[in-house]
Amino acid sequence: MKLAFLFPGQGSQKVSMLHSLPDHSAVGEVLQEASDVIGENIYNLDTAEALTSTVSVQLSLLIASVAVSKAFEAEGVRPDFVAGHSVGAFGAAVTCGAMDFADALKIVKLRGVLMEQAFPSGYGMGVISGLDAKSVCDMVEAIFSEENPVYSSNINAADQITISGSIPGINKVLDQASQGGARTAELLNVSVPSHCPLLNSVGDSLYDKLAHINIRSPVVLYASNRKARLIRNSEQIREDLAFNVSHPVRWYEISSLLCEYGTRLLIEMPSGNVLTNLNKKTLPGARSVSVDENGFENCFFLAKRFCS
Amino acid sequence: MQAAKQRSWNRRLEAKQKRIEKMKGITSNRIIPTHQIVEALETLIMPGDRVVLEGNNQKQASFLSAALAQADPKKLFNLHMIMSSISRPEHLDLFENGIADKVDFSYAGPQSLRMAQMLEDGKLAMGEIHTYVELYGRLFIDLIPSVALVAADKADSAGNLYTGPNTEETPTLVEAAGFSSGIVIAQVNELVDELPRVDIPGSWIDFVVVADQPYQLEPLFTRDPRHITDIQILQAMMVIRGIYGKHGVKSLNHGIGYNTAAIELLLPTYGESLGLKGKICKHWALNPHPTLIPAIESGWVESVHCFGGEVGMEKYVAARRDIFFTGHDGSLRSNRTLCQLAGQYAVDLFVGSSLQIDEAGNSSTVTRGRLAGFGGAPNMGHDPGGRRHSSQAWLDMMTDTNPLARGRKLVVQVVETFQNGNKPVFVESLDAVGAKKDIGLETAPVMIYGNDVTHIVTEEGIAYLYKTDSMEERRQAIAAIAGVTPIGLKHDVKKTEKLRREGLIALPEDLEIRRTDAKRSLLAAKNVEELVEWSEGLYEPPAKFRSW
Repeated sequence: MKLAFLFPGQGSQKVSMLHSLPDHSAVGEVLQEASDVIGENIYNLDTAEALTSTVSVQLSLLIASVAVSKAFEAEGVRPDFVAGHSVGAFGAAVTCGAMDFADALKIVKLRGVLMEQAFPSGYGMGVISGLDAKSVCDMVEAIFSEENPVYSSNINAADQITISGSIPGINKVLDQASQGGARTAELLNVSVPSHCPLLNSVGDSLYDKLAHINIRSPVVLYASNRKARLIRNSEQIREDLAFNVSHPVRWYEISSLLCEYGTRLLIEMPSGNVLTNLNKKTLPGARSVSVDENGFENCFFLAKRFCS
Repeated sequence: MQAAKQRSWNRRLEAKQKRIEKMKGITSNRIIPTHQIVEALETLIMPGDRVVLEGNNQKQASFLSAALAQADPKKLFNLHMIMSSISRPEHLDLFENGIADKVDFSYAGPQSLRMAQMLEDGKLAMGEIHTYVELYGRLFIDLIPSVALVAADKADSAGNLYTGPNTEETPTLVEAAGFSSGIVIAQVNELVDELPRVDIPGSWIDFVVVADQPYQLEPLFTRDPRHITDIQILQAMMVIRGIYGKHGVKSLNHGIGYNTAAIELLLPTYGESLGLKGKICKHWALNPHPTLIPAIESGWVESVHCFGGEVGMEKYVAARRDIFFTGHDGSLRSNRTLCQLAGQYAVDLFVGSSLQIDEAGNSSTVTRGRLAGFGGAPNMGHDPGGRRHSSQAWLDMMTDTNPLARGRKLVVQVVETFQNGNKPVFVESLDAVGAKKDIGLETAPVMIYGNDVTHIVTEEGIAYLYKTDSMEERRQAIAAIAGVTPIGLKHDVKKTEKLRREGLIALPEDLEIRRTDAKRSLLAAKNVEELVEWSEGLYEPPAKFRSW
């Protein structure tokens, strides 16, 4: 039985998420290191006001997820695979030993700043449930215009697809999806059109920065967001960390692949349970739990029982 | 005349003897020490060998596959793997690690995404995708294995094997290698002094190794009646009355879906009320499905021959020896190859299900971006041109008076017009067509071809395709029962009456079935507990099916 650690992306953040982490010395050490590297008190990042900025959101997610994965490690629980969704990929990279936490903090902060600056208004993302990727792609291609660009982006489940681009373009696709049999089609509360070519320049800038960061071959396989492959090659991990911001996250394939590789327990790091809920639908043969919902102790117990 | 050159006619045997000679450092008899299995495989297998690895959809030679994946790729490389089912992660690790580079297989459902990715990434070279019988056949023709790695329950020190209820494909793989101077290595759960019975003689086996854990075995054919829906019950009623009863189907095979489980569970209730007992469903090519227990207990079933076993059914089978094939020890004897052949040639009817059906009745279970292969459905889901014996149901498929006319196998597809997630089953074009292009296959991976299909059943009704005499009529009959799918929407409802009159389609009311009667209360067993009761406590369901 194999164990995977999952690292959530934006949308999973919660107010006070860094204040409500499990009480463990390894968590305290990670929070302290984060404060030292960023040069500010990280307990200021998870207020309702601070979380309106994608910079705070992304940093909070990285810090919370790495803190808990280190707590597991300190207790002797190590995953066989790591997979992060979007910014979650950085927590995954740290946990599998490909990247130092301090480097991840710096890059993630830059990622947030670049994303915030890229599209100040009029852009965003939407999510469609009840249609498959091909149906959504066909709609998006028919509606796309230079003036109102829109792209299909993340494939979260077989029937849950996000779209990214200009608000008018997104709304047109959402309308058509609603009429075309979608269960739900709604605008997401994000102001950056992530995971589509509109963010190519952000990806390029991140790559320039990452080129000077030490990325190592990981000790366990890392799930690449862009290619939906489990990889060990440090150069491919570097590219994935840089360019996942401007490419669709193929989460549906990633989660299926983890199962094909023998994963039977998937533990989602804080915060939230978005990935766990997706997995429960996609992977009926595996156990999916989240630290936020099930508690650190229970997840630890399951990991010990499943994977010993 | 003297031959110009001396040549040996025993090269395969000499090569085998040379390899066995090298085993002296590892074992002096035929028992390989468990902890030396990797070293033994590196000794007995040579680069470039054709290796058949037992792994079907139930039983897996999991200890040997894991050991092979740990081999040193500097010593073992370029292996050509032959596997009926690619199911375990290490099956593909063999390619990832550079130990094997080519594969011929039949089913890859549990690894279908990684399989497609590795093909796309050039990490494995694909031979062909087969049906089970084809792959077994080629083991004796042009894919003769150098090495067979198989699994058994028990062995004795002479190498005799007991495979018990899960004999499955072991004898076929052993025969192909063992009688062509190949090397046969069997993993066993335990070594004993006396076997319950001998399933494979020791003289066919070269080496035995005791595995560190019992071989992997999946309870793949257990369907909990709790999940059967009213629509599946309606369809089951239509099948029993409008197909089995109408044509007098006495011998058949069922797939593993909930819709066929519903049919099995309606025989003692709805079937009985129609007075069909003894007239239909007497002889089966089928695994020991727990959902068949009520029909067996009610006296419907005369015989069942099995592809493989089913976890939890061991004691029940042993206590029903008139019905099942059993050894003198009492336990089931299954045989995948023979049961596939029986299901191909000797039964009157096959029922399957599908993810997609096109307007001509071609069906496919292909999902884009995945490569799952075929398994055994196409072996049974076609009209075998070599059949010569007749039966009532087979003759009932004759539609013309040509003096050379012959009967036909009944090939039935039971589907709901929409899958989960609002995906239409009836589509303009199968995803298999796109998959052919994506993966670079020579032919589109069609599971059952339309011209083999005699009946399609949906929640709307039955299309009697064997009666149609033109493609146009076939399309009309399919469209008439395709609901509001893209194909169904093309149907002109004015034609429905004509199709009903001519018997090309039947709606539930034409079969005197009231939709409101299709209720779960008709099921002979509504949950696993009741199956256990029917079996008089002999069926012992695996933990995951116990809710009490």
